[in-house]
Amino acid sequence: MAEIATWGVIAALGLATFATRLSFLALLGEGELPLWLRRILHYVPPAILAAIIAPQVLAGAPGLAATLDGPRTVAALAGFAVAYATRSTFASIAVGMAVLWGLTLL
Amino acid sequence: MSSLDRRQAFLAGVRACIPLAPGVLLFGMVCGAAAAGVGLTPGQSFALSWMVFAGSSQIVATQLFASGAPGWVIVLTGWIVNLRFMMYSASLAQHFRGESRGARWLAGYLLTDQAFAVTLARALDGRKGVAGFFLGIAFTLWLLWQVASLAGIFLGALVPASWSMDFVVALTFIGVLAPLLRDRAMAGAAVAGGLTSVFLVLPLKLNLMAAALIGAAVGIALEKLWPKSRPGA
Repeated sequence: MAEIATWGVIAALGLATFATRLSFLALLGEGELPLWLRRILHYVPPAILAAIIAPQVLAGAPGLAATLDGPRTVAALAGFAVAYATRSTFASIAVGMAVLWGLTLL
Repeated sequence: MSSLDRRQAFLAGVRACIPLAPGVLLFGMVCGAAAAGVGLTPGQSFALSWMVFAGSSQIVATQLFASGAPGWVIVLTGWIVNLRFMMYSASLAQHFRGESRGARWLAGYLLTDQAFAVTLARALDGRKGVAGFFLGIAFTLWLLWQVASLAGIFLGALVPASWSMDFVVALTFIGVLAPLLRDRAMAGAAVAGGLTSVFLVLPLKLNLMAAALIGAAVGIALEKLWPKSRPGA
């Protein structure tokens, strides 16, 4: 992508994000989000987070023939267990990375 | 509220960042290093950090830049990741009635998951000075994020690839995702989103957008099957 186009994409994403954040703060809460929209917004975060995570535990590219990368899968499961139990992102990173390094060194 | 109370609320917000700082600094560095690592200039990488200022969206944009996705797909996918801020904005607005326009616009610019979550917990406790507290925590998190981004942009290349620091991104998202999975509908949305991104290969790198929409649809469908898992119920 040309450098000027990259700048355009970053600025457009920044402005769209700012407008989303400002929306109700600028309107001072005039009106509420409709229920259908709240429902969609409620379920987008787990879906998109899982969609970003999943390809990173694969051994190759996504697709019907996708296979798991052993050490990364185990490290991800360990990180998940820690995060589920402690609700600490930092603990999840620390344990997950320790497991990944341990398994790759073996 | 007196200016002294406001100042105390702001400082309480600053202090509330202390337990969050290690995770924010680490994730910020990884986001900065990732952007610089896929060939964005230092200026562009830092612009992601202060213009977009949302880690998951920055990572999504970075990955899409690297894969050569069209500009409109990058903007749209990154924006979908950030749509949740509208919910936070609606919830926070009631605490900013009577605040100046400048304070409200600043709060909008600084709004993040963590600043919102901690502030909401405090507001639910019935504590006063919610607006000042929010600005304190949100501004401090912003500052930490920018410093961490710059460190990642300029020092990231020094970290050997064999350390697999890219996996910190996955673990950060796992750390955010796991506590969200409180009911079957949320878990179903996550499973559907994950499976979509692994098995559905779409042109123009539309996979992530499809995963968000399919995951949300599955979550809503499961919520109808088990109504007690409705948000807020």
